[in-house]
Amino acid sequence: MEQRWNYLVEEYQSMLYRIAFSNMKNRADAEDAVQEAFLRYMKDEKPIQNKEHEKAWLIRTTIHICLDILKSGWYQRTVAWNESFVSATQNIYLPYQVKDDRTLEAVLQLPVHYRNPIYLFYYEDYTIHEIAGVLNEKEATIKTRLRRGREEVKKILTEGRP
Amino acid sequence: MGIQEVKRGGGVPEYPNTRKPDQAEGFQERLRQNMKYRGQGRGNITGTDVQKEKVKEKSGMGRIGAGPGIRVNSTALTDALQTVEVKHMSYGESDNVRIAVTEGYTLKGKIQAQEAQVYVEAKYEDGRLEAYQVDTKRVPEATEHAIERFALETIGELNKEEGK
Repeated sequence: MEQRWNYLVEEYQSMLYRIAFSNMKNRADAEDAVQEAFLRYMKDEKPIQNKEHEKAWLIRTTIHICLDILKSGWYQRTVAWNESFVSATQNIYLPYQVKDDRTLEAVLQLPVHYRNPIYLFYYEDYTIHEIAGVLNEKEATIKTRLRRGREEVKKILTEGRP
Repeated sequence: MGIQEVKRGGGVPEYPNTRKPDQAEGFQERLRQNMKYRGQGRGNITGTDVQKEKVKEKSGMGRIGAGPGIRVNSTALTDALQTVEVKHMSYGESDNVRIAVTEGYTLKGKIQAQEAQVYVEAKYEDGRLEAYQVDTKRVPEATEHAIERFALETIGELNKEEGK
């Protein structure tokens, strides 16, 4: 059990944390969401087919937990301490250097249906096929969201608002 | 509310002809004018020049940087650049990464064992994955080719790290 837990944390913690942070925009809530995803994975008794399935399951669950927290009455009555994504990433391992902070900040301002596909495609290097699997959507839907999301990012960067 | 009476006079009513004599060939005249202005807008390009320009656009560098993201296809390859098999390299394995959200593509570069050779993997918004091998020794310094520029940047990043 402990071995399994260690493996999960080592393998997915950084990635899940970044995905959770892109949704929650603050460290404490992102960490809570990732921890909850791990707990659900450990409790879940459904057989996991392979590593890709495991990864997709964890990402999907993390995103759902984030959305549930964001929708909860408690969360909406409180004011979150938003942190800059870049300052948060200084404390976690990122496999590449983020050169354009403004674009990343703009991506984080997108509505959730654009933000997750764009974040997964560009910053986590997922393919359209994988994103469609993780988000339970058709590939054509993901392509459309990527295109429209990109237009929204441009709008935010030029006009300063979504 | 009464029912409106319709006078059944029979035959087609005669509409007055309001067209002025100088507008008689209005559509044809406007079309002729448009064609003339369009010709002026393109400068003094003769028929053969227009054809040449079209050919250049199809095969040349003009396509790179146009539209959503860069568009590199076999016809836009240069001497220094050749397509190779995609290795599905991760960000972690790459020496240099460019994330161009607003242009709709990502680039990953890795310096190869042979000096000055850079492997570049491009992922486009429409899902296409393409890989190129760039011989940076053959790339002109002032190149405007997006992939070549990225390859030079990758070599530059390595030199910067070695300088530290």
